[in-house]
Parts: sequence; structure tokens; C-alpha cells
Amino acid sequence: MSCHNYEQLHTRRDFLAQTGLGLGAAALAQVFGGNAFGATAAGSSSGGLTGLPHFPAKAKRVICLFQSGGPSHLDLLDEKPVLGARFNEDLPDSVRRGQRITGMVASQARLAVQPSKFAFQPGGKCGTRISDLLPHTREIADELCVIRSVHTEAINHDPAITFFQSGSQLPGRPSMGAWVDYGLGRLSENLPSFVVLVSVNAKRAGQGLLARLWGSGFLPSGHQGVQFRSAGEPVLYLNDAPGITRERRRAMLDGITELNRLQHAQSGDPEIETRIGQFEMAYRMQASVPELMALDGEPAHVRESYGPDVATPGSFARNCLLARRLAERGVRFIQLYHRDWDHHGGLHDSLPNIAKDVDQPSAALIRDLKQRGLLDDTLVIWGGEFGRTPYAQGEANREKYGRDHHGKAFSLWLAGGGIKPGMTYGASDDFGFNVTENPVHIHDLQATILHQLGIDHERLTYKFQGRQYRLTDVHGKVVKGVLA
Amino acid sequence: MNPRLKFSLAVLAFGVGPLHAAEPIDFNRQILPILSDACFRCHGPDAGSRKAKLRLDQREGLFRTREDVTVVVPGKPEASDLYLRISSKEEDEVMPPRESSRQLKPAEIDLLKRWIAAGAPWGTHWAFSAPQRAPLPAIENPKSKIENPNPIDAFVRAKLAKEKLTPAPAAERATLLRRVTLDLTGVPPTPAELGAFLADNSSGAYDRVVDRLLASPRYGERWAWDWLDVARYADTNGFQGDPERTMWPWRDWVVNALNANMPYDQFTVEQLAGDLLPEATRDQKLASGFHRNNMFNGEGGRIAEETRVENVFDRVDTTSTVWLGLTFTCARCHDHKFDPIKQTDYFSLYDIFNQMSETGSASGGGGRSGAIVPVLDLSTPAEAEAVKRAQAAIDAVAVEIEKFELTKFPRPEGKPVIDSPAAQKLPGNLPATHARPAVNRRDLNGLLEALPFFRDTEPDAEYVKLLQKHIAAIRKRDSASNNITRVMIMDELPKKRDTFVLNKGNYESKTDVKVLGAIPSMFRPQEIGATADLPRLNRLDLARWLVSAENPLGARTAVNRAWQAFFGIGFVKTAEDFGVQSEPPSHPELLDWLATDFVASGWDMKKLHRTIVTSATYRQSSRVTPARHERDPENRLLARGPRHRMPSWMLRDQALAVAGLLNDTPGGPSVRPYQPAGIWEEATFGKKSYQQDHGAALYRRSLYVFWRRIVGPTSFFDAGARQVCTVRVAHTNTPLHALVTLNDPAFVEAARVMAQRALTSAVRTDAARLDMVFRAATARSPAANEKSVLLARLAKLREQFGAAPGEAHQLAGAGEFERVESVPVVEIAAWTALCSLILNLDEVLSKE
Repeated sequence: MSCHNYEQLHTRRDFLAQTGLGLGAAALAQVFGGNAFGATAAGSSSGGLTGLPHFPAKAKRVICLFQSGGPSHLDLLDEKPVLGARFNEDLPDSVRRGQRITGMVASQARLAVQPSKFAFQPGGKCGTRISDLLPHTREIADELCVIRSVHTEAINHDPAITFFQSGSQLPGRPSMGAWVDYGLGRLSENLPSFVVLVSVNAKRAGQGLLARLWGSGFLPSGHQGVQFRSAGEPVLYLNDAPGITRERRRAMLDGITELNRLQHAQSGDPEIETRIGQFEMAYRMQASVPELMALDGEPAHVRESYGPDVATPGSFARNCLLARRLAERGVRFIQLYHRDWDHHGGLHDSLPNIAKDVDQPSAALIRDLKQRGLLDDTLVIWGGEFGRTPYAQGEANREKYGRDHHGKAFSLWLAGGGIKPGMTYGASDDFGFNVTENPVHIHDLQATILHQLGIDHERLTYKFQGRQYRLTDVHGKVVKGVLA
Repeated sequence: MNPRLKFSLAVLAFGVGPLHAAEPIDFNRQILPILSDACFRCHGPDAGSRKAKLRLDQREGLFRTREDVTVVVPGKPEASDLYLRISSKEEDEVMPPRESSRQLKPAEIDLLKRWIAAGAPWGTHWAFSAPQRAPLPAIENPKSKIENPNPIDAFVRAKLAKEKLTPAPAAERATLLRRVTLDLTGVPPTPAELGAFLADNSSGAYDRVVDRLLASPRYGERWAWDWLDVARYADTNGFQGDPERTMWPWRDWVVNALNANMPYDQFTVEQLAGDLLPEATRDQKLASGFHRNNMFNGEGGRIAEETRVENVFDRVDTTSTVWLGLTFTCARCHDHKFDPIKQTDYFSLYDIFNQMSETGSASGGGGRSGAIVPVLDLSTPAEAEAVKRAQAAIDAVAVEIEKFELTKFPRPEGKPVIDSPAAQKLPGNLPATHARPAVNRRDLNGLLEALPFFRDTEPDAEYVKLLQKHIAAIRKRDSASNNITRVMIMDELPKKRDTFVLNKGNYESKTDVKVLGAIPSMFRPQEIGATADLPRLNRLDLARWLVSAENPLGARTAVNRAWQAFFGIGFVKTAEDFGVQSEPPSHPELLDWLATDFVASGWDMKKLHRTIVTSATYRQSSRVTPARHERDPENRLLARGPRHRMPSWMLRDQALAVAGLLNDTPGGPSVRPYQPAGIWEEATFGKKSYQQDHGAALYRRSLYVFWRRIVGPTSFFDAGARQVCTVRVAHTNTPLHALVTLNDPAFVEAARVMAQRALTSAVRTDAARLDMVFRAATARSPAANEKSVLLARLAKLREQFGAAPGEAHQLAGAGEFERVESVPVVEIAAWTALCSLILNLDEVLSKE
């Protein structure tokens, strides 16, 4: 129990004095302690499991900058000169090895090698080569660990994103953030511990996102991610009805609490005490969430560092800045989504635009976290559900082209949170089609994320349908090679 | 809760610990769970992961002797290898191996030892044998004596006596009326119903209330909700784009069947295989829509077969969860690790659901985009006639065009326009539509492209007019066709698909193991051999078997879910899993008694519900002392009545009912009540926008709220996600829930209308008005101290709103329901805030 809250309880509200009913220490712990957010009726706590973390954590929190749609690793993070040399040749069978292809190119007569039209340059002291489409990211290359050997079995968006977020291609499993909240509990008294921010941009179409991607699956629903929306109320029903001011809300809540306390004395159900606590936390969120979303207090140079889009609610830039604010305020798992990386055609046109959306803000976030001393214990992940094919969807063309989905090898980057900076890890073949060195399966990535949070991915389990489930199913190895 | 207390409770409740050391050891409840949890992973049903060719889930393995080593020697622990291995201190001998995540506790080792010493009695898992109707236990404790004990009470009280607990006194009558009315109809009692019940002191008063509630049309609506969760019902397909579908006629079928008290066996057969019944009626075909409620992934690059296979998986998983209470999903990729379910068993069920004409491609069943064949055409004669007429009009226009084109674009007989030199002279490419004769031009988009081509290249007013006429006629037909209700249903291919086990459940990896539709091998009588010798079963055979005496779980699963609905937790806590790894039932004999009684009654659902709600167990007070709560926090022993926060959908219905707003129109297309702006747009990138309804539709029951699968209605929390079959929903308590009931416009409006009604009623004083609204929400009058708190709040709110009439005006206008002009806005606002306060009391949010 926090003493601070205990004081608040005594000074702020009058009901204790009026009713003469005190709260026992145990009850207070339940109301205001670690499990007030999402405490379940059955009494199990969402304040984290005993015995966790399993070992000292390198990272306290995670920011996942998810690029939904399948960013082309070949045009962004994994340079392949051979594609240029073998322009428009058939993808060799020795490379394809019977890999299944999507329904979209299955009828295509040939799979013609498609080079990237974008140049790559070395970045930072480490010299990691990154595309001209990500100049700001390149500038912070010394903070990044670029992994070029990620792979997944899924070849379509929904299963692949679901897999990335929940460790299973089929819906119904808890998402990463839910697992982390379940295992570690929350750090903030005023904010949920798993927050989701989705970019909204009229210019970008892209795939819809389903709320189940941040669902809690079979874990108690209190662990699900809470989406902070950019338009309207940031949290559903956060705002009081027109005409209800804070003062009136307080007057109403005091009445509710007082009567609930009388009711508790009658019925004896401890769930009533939990409810009192949850109504109080709702009241606090009504203040803490708008405070979080308002950027007035951010110095101009900080805002500007995220790029001009930061002024637009719902932009990726704004969400990156909000991610930093959430991180500062103790939110454990911050999940961003940016959509429209699905460049089957017109990649040459669309990719530069969307890369521009995310490049400067992503780099600014890393710098901002570092400058505040938060990068050391914040693990940042940048990547999508799969990469794209080295062959063209449709005709190969040096200038105008598109690429299909590709999960056998793709790239993403990690930063902070005990990850070795300024390195690349793993490699794909000359075509960027197969992994040739240090493969990192999505389950390995998940095991590594949990590991940095002090969680043994094999020991964070939940019994459901008679079986112990975990994020990594029965797979996953911590990628030791990327740890600092 | 203190974890230590929880443990000791488990010990008390289920008799695993030293307190009951003298009692005979029950293999099923005490030994099998340990073996399953600690040993079956390597020595269980899954042949693929079995070590040392030893399986402990069967009698043969458990008692086998090989190379002079016997696993279990009854009566002799020290001669039993099992005991020697689990108690060994040697690293290379001890079981489970040290690196295993499941280690045995000393108490478990001791228990296994005592079990062997006691002769190692063996048995199969309780749920895999038919339920036995045990004689009613005598109630020994005179304090527990009740008049006319209901069989439920005999079992519950016998257990309580054993645990040295006494039952709670009966709930107050008003509390009981509210509880049973909410449980059976999902809405609270009206003040008139409350008054009538309180005034009726005759002996059968409660029974008559129960009869009235069971006969209410609200009953079917209330119980349909749980079934829609089971059936993963929604109004859209799910996945990208999330197109709409029309399944509400199926939903109405469920409500009607429940209201008509359709026997559960019939309810089952019609939903699983109504289309296969001899001379199936329209309603029976409609019922088979049950298994079309699954999600459907029609994503762009999707391989149709992958979708089709996933849909079949979903049907197998749903069926086995609902009627078998077993986790068949595990056996999709390998033999089950704990339960005797082989991968071939999974695919034998798969074969049964693999025979439908669905291809996995989201192509149209006509009409609204989400309908996917096969569909049931529910057109009225007038609607069918309208389509027919519209089609005839199209044909007439086409003939007219054909005639015109013969002169305009001369060409050899029987050739299309594209072959006419006159047409070839036109600049640019001739539209593709004109490669076909006019009667075959069905592509509306093609015609829409052809129109500007002819308008711009060859201005011929008469021809353009004809083309426009053609487009208009097609649109009219489409619109008429769209008006027709088409519901997705099941069908059966005339020629069956072959079914092969799929390696790791991957749709592309067919193995050469061919299987035929069959009931799972664990439920087949021993003497029947391999699947190949059995007749190939179809859906109707399976459906009939699921509700036959041969299925030990058909009635148990149903009874358990019903119990869960009333008491919050089933006898088997994991309503979705009755397998070896599940916790033993809290009251096994009662579960079986109710299951056998349910079957004997002709699967009479209303009778089952009546038996439960008329029991003294159900009628107990839910009040609890801290000591008793600590003893049994989840109320598994049933020494008190149930007390839970109501499901969120019921909270909304309650608020509407208490305000007098509830619109009890049954059935029909789903409605769109208040929802914050932008929810659909955000989830679908603006492709779907929410068109909120107005007027009476805003006040329809929650059951009828449109369910967009990828986001779900925002007013509901802790609800099944309607993505996969859900037989158990969470009861959580979070701040986000508080925000809904405090701020959702539906709740604010309900508070405002409640206030308005009190202010315009015949009662005049604050105290009398307070009594009226409080009673409507809680079914009781406020106690003196509650009254003084509330009146003080009212005074404060009145003062606050009095100082800010503009804000009072805002609150007094909450929602679209008409505001009464004759009452000052400050009064309405102050009372609205007070009513909102009341609607958010724990007592009102809870079924007490």
C-alpha cells in the first residue's frame, strides 16, 4: 500500500468521518494497491505474479513501433546489390525452394527479380547500411541493433500480425502486452499498464486493425490493452456528460462511495471495496489521461524534433511523443501501429511517403528517451509482420514496381533496454529471400523481449483448457547475440 | 486474496490434504490429476512425445511389468517402480526429471504412496463415463433442515455438513425477486411486480413468480445472449473489411426456440444438422445457421482453401467445446497430451464438417456483401415478385438494345458489337461489355464504364439513353435483391470430400492418413475396432449422438453452463474443459443428478431452470461475514446465495428498464444505438461508418445491438468477443467499466429519464421521489442512513446546478428522449445526477 494514497483517502474525502467506517489495512491494499486496475472478481491479482521478474530486468518497459502491412526490408534495411545485377531474371528455384506464395501472385507466369531503386549509405560509427528512405534512422544507427534474419511462417496480414502480437496465427491468444501486464503488473496508479496508439492518417489507407490484436485472449480481460484514441475522447467514455463538472462528479462519487460502504457493511462482499477503488481510479484517469495527451508543456525544440506531423493528432509523430510521455508515466507496454506498408504495386511512390511518416519521429523518440535517461531501461522495437519479395508483383521494372508479402527473411530493429547498440545481427541470402545466418524467429524475438523484462518466457504461463500456455507456445530461444 | 488461504480452501473443498487422510483415496479426483499434470506429457495419450513406450493413462501401462520392473504393484509402494522413481534422490532416476517444469510436491508423493498402499484402485476419468444418478443424501445436520427440500439442497447441504458449514438464511423476498427476475429475464422487476409479490403471502407465491418469468418473452431474450456467445454470433464476418452478413433471423430462431422451451436435444440437432433432417422445414434449415456464425476471412491474398479449412476447424472446435466440454483443438496438430483424443479423432470430426459446399472464397450468396453461399432465401412472395419483375425489365431493355445495336453497329448475324466495323472505327478501346450481346452484359461496373465511352466518342442521345435505362434496370433489380433476407446455412455435398489428417493442422500438408466421420474413439464401445470398420457418420448422426445416452458429456456440459449462469461458476469451473486436466467438480453427484434429471425430463430447459431457482440453495441470502468469505471466497460450497456484478449487456437493459425506456419489440435486423463517433471508421479506415438509429430503436434490448465483429459494441465489457466459441466470460472489475456506467450516453439518458419520470409523477416530496427511483433500481426502499446521504447529495447537486443553469440545461438534455418542459432544468439536472449515482451503486450493478 502506498502511504501517499492513504493520506489522500483521509484528506480528500469526507465519508470516513461521516460514517465512522474505517478501512482495514488489507482492504486499503486491495483498493489502492497494485491490483486496483483490473483486479478480478475471483480475487486473483493483476498486480503481477509473485516470483516475477524471474531475474533482474534490463528493461522496465517496451515501446513497440509496429509497421503494419509488411515494410520492404529490401528497400529499407537490407541492401541487396545482386538484385540489381540480376534484374528481371527469374528467381532461381534454388532460392525459392518451393516456398508457397500468396493467392495474389500465384497466377503470375514468372517471378522476376526486382532490385530496389533506393540507395543505401552507412550510418554512424558502426556503419550499418540503411536506405536513403530512412535518413534520420540512419543518423541514430549507433543506437540500433538491426536484425536482418527475422522470419515467420505466416504469409497474410491477419495471421502474421496476430502471430507477431500473440505468438499464434489464430486469434484467441493474449497479446504480448497482456502477458507482460499479467506477469509484471503495473507501475502507474493513474494509467493502465498496456496502452495502444494507432496512427490515423487520411492519406493512408491500409489494412484495418482489430482490437483483438491487443486483446487479453484467455487471460482476465483487465489485462487487455487500452486504446488511447486521437479523435474524440482518448479513452472511451472518459469525459463526463455535458453539465457534469469535476466538482459535481466528485459530489456524485462521494455519494456512491458512501452508500457502497454502507452496502459493504451489510453484504460483506469484498468485491465492493474493489469497486470503490476502481471508481476512484476512473476519476483519477479522467485527469491523468487528458494531462498525458496535452502537449502544451513540451518545449518547442522537443516537439519539433519529432517533425512537423507532431502537430496533428493521430499522426505517428504525435504518437511517438505520446509514447515517450507514457513511458515517463510508468506505462509498461506501449504499442504503436502505423499502417499502409502493403506495397503490392506502386511501392516506388508509396514507400518514400510512408517512410517519411515514421523516420524522423522514430529517430526522435530514441534520442528523446536517451536524453532523459530512459533509453537504458526502455526496449524499443521497430518492424512489421513480414517483409516483401525480391521478385516483383507483376512486371519487374527498375523504376516502378511492387512486391508481394514475404516472411522467410525480413528485417527490423531494436534499441535500448539492454540491447547491444550499433550492430547488425543475422543475414539473408543475396536475394533477401532466405535467412543464411543467425535466424531469428518471431518466437525468438518474443522470448528476447520477455527476457529483457526479466521474464523467462518458458515460465510465464497460464493454464487454459487444461494446458499451460505461453507467449512463445513451445518454441522460442532468447537471441543472446543481441544482448548488451 | 491470500494465496495460502486459497490453497487451504482447495484442500478443504476437495479433500486432497491431510485433513482427510483417513478417508479412502479417490483415484479419479486425487490421483489421476497428479498423474496427468506431472506425467502424461511424456507418458500419456500422445504417441508422438511418449518416452520409454510407457503410458500411464491406461490401466495396461500403469500396472505393466517389463524386464522384472513393475510400474505399480497394488499394496506395495516399495515394490512399485513408480513410487521408487518419484521418491528417488538420484538425478538420473527421479521422475519427473529435474528439468521438468512440473515437480511433485512432498504431499503428492505421499498421496501416491498411500494410494498404492491402499491397493491402487484404478478408474477412468469421471467425465468419460456416463453420469450416474446417485440417491439423494440425507441431510444430517438438523440446523440445515428445510421443508420440502429440493434435490439440489440435499446434495449441497450434505456437503456443507461435511465441511462443517451452515447454509445462509433465505434472502429477503424483495432481493430474491430481483435476483430471479434478472436471472430469468435479464431485466429487473417492475415496481408493480415487486408490490404484488410482497403483498402475496400465500404459500405458492414464489413458484407463481417463477412460472410467470419462465413464460415471459423476455426469458428467451435473456438466455439467447449466452447462446450467442457460444455460437460466436455477430452481424459481420470479422477480419479485414469486416463485411456485413444477415444472421439475425437465426438469432430470432434461438430466441423463439428458447421461449417455446424447445427440448435441448432438438435444439442441438436442428442447429447442428437441421438441413439434413428428413423434409427439413424452413425453420430447421435456418437453425443450421449455427455453424455459419463463425468468422470468415476473405482477405485479398487469401488462399480460399486455407479459409475453408479454418472454418471447418472452427466448427469442430466449437462443437467439441459445447457438447463435449473437451479441448479437441489440441488434437488438431498431435494426439492430445492429457485426454485420450487422437489426432485421427480430431479429423474424424473434421470429416463430418468437411462435407459442406463452402469453398472458402467469399463469393456472394447474393444480396448483402457478407452473405456467402449456401444461403437460405427468406424472401416474402412480394419481395420475390419484385426481383422477378425487375429482372424481366432488364431483359426487356436488353432486347431493345440488341435491336438498336443491330442497326447502329451492323455486323454478321450472331456476332457481338465488337465485330462490327462501325464499332471498330470508334477511337480507343471498345468497352469489354460490348464483346457480349446485350442480354449477357451483367457487369454493372463494366456498363458504368461503357456509358461515358459512348457518350463521349459517338454522341447518340438515343443510344446513351438506352444504356442508361439498362443501368437503371440493373440497379433496381440489385436493390430489390438486396432487400431480400438471405441467411447463411449449412448444406451437404452430394459427393463427399476425402478427409486426410493434416500434418500439424496445416491445410497444405495432407498426410496419407485417410479418415472417415466417426465419434471420437474414447467414446466408442471397446469392442468396436478401427475407424475404417465403422460406417461413415454425417452431421446428423453426430448431432444425434451428442445428445444421446452414449455421450457422457452432452447433458453435463449443458447443466454446468446453466449453473454457471446462476451462480457465476459452474460445478466444473472450466466450462470449456471437462478433461483430465480440469479441476474436479465441486459437487460431482449433484452435477450428475441434474444431468440425468435433465435427460429424464426430455431435456427440458425451463424445468432445469425452475429446479435451480426454486432450490433453497439459490434462495439463500448472499450476505457473508469476512470469516466465511475467507473460507470460501468463490462460494464453491454454496453456503450462501450468488452475488455478482451483472453482465454489461444486462446493465444496459436494466438501466433502460428502470427508466421506463426499454422497447420490448422482439427480433428483426440489429439496431445501432448510441456509440462514440469514429469507432467503426477508425477500425476500418473509414470504409464503414456508423449510422446511429434514432427514436425507439435506441431503447431496444442489448441482444439486438448490431455486433461489428472487429470492434464490438462499445457499451459492453467482459462480454464474449464473438470471434470464437465462448462458454465462459470473465467477471473483472476495472476503472474502464466505471467509465461506461457513469458516462455512456445510454446510461446518462436513462438517469435523466428516470429523473424526469419521478419529477412528473404524482409523488411530490423529495423523500417520496427518492423512494420511487431507489426502489425502481434496487427493489427496496432506502434505509434511513442511506436516505439522509442521498438527500444531502441531492441538496448539494441542486445547489451546484442552481449556480450554473447553463450546465444544468446541458445535463437535462442528455440523450434524444423528449425533455419535459414543465419541470425546471435545475431540478431535472440535480435529479439526473442523483439517478446516475443510484445506477452506479454496487448494489444496482450487482445481482444481489
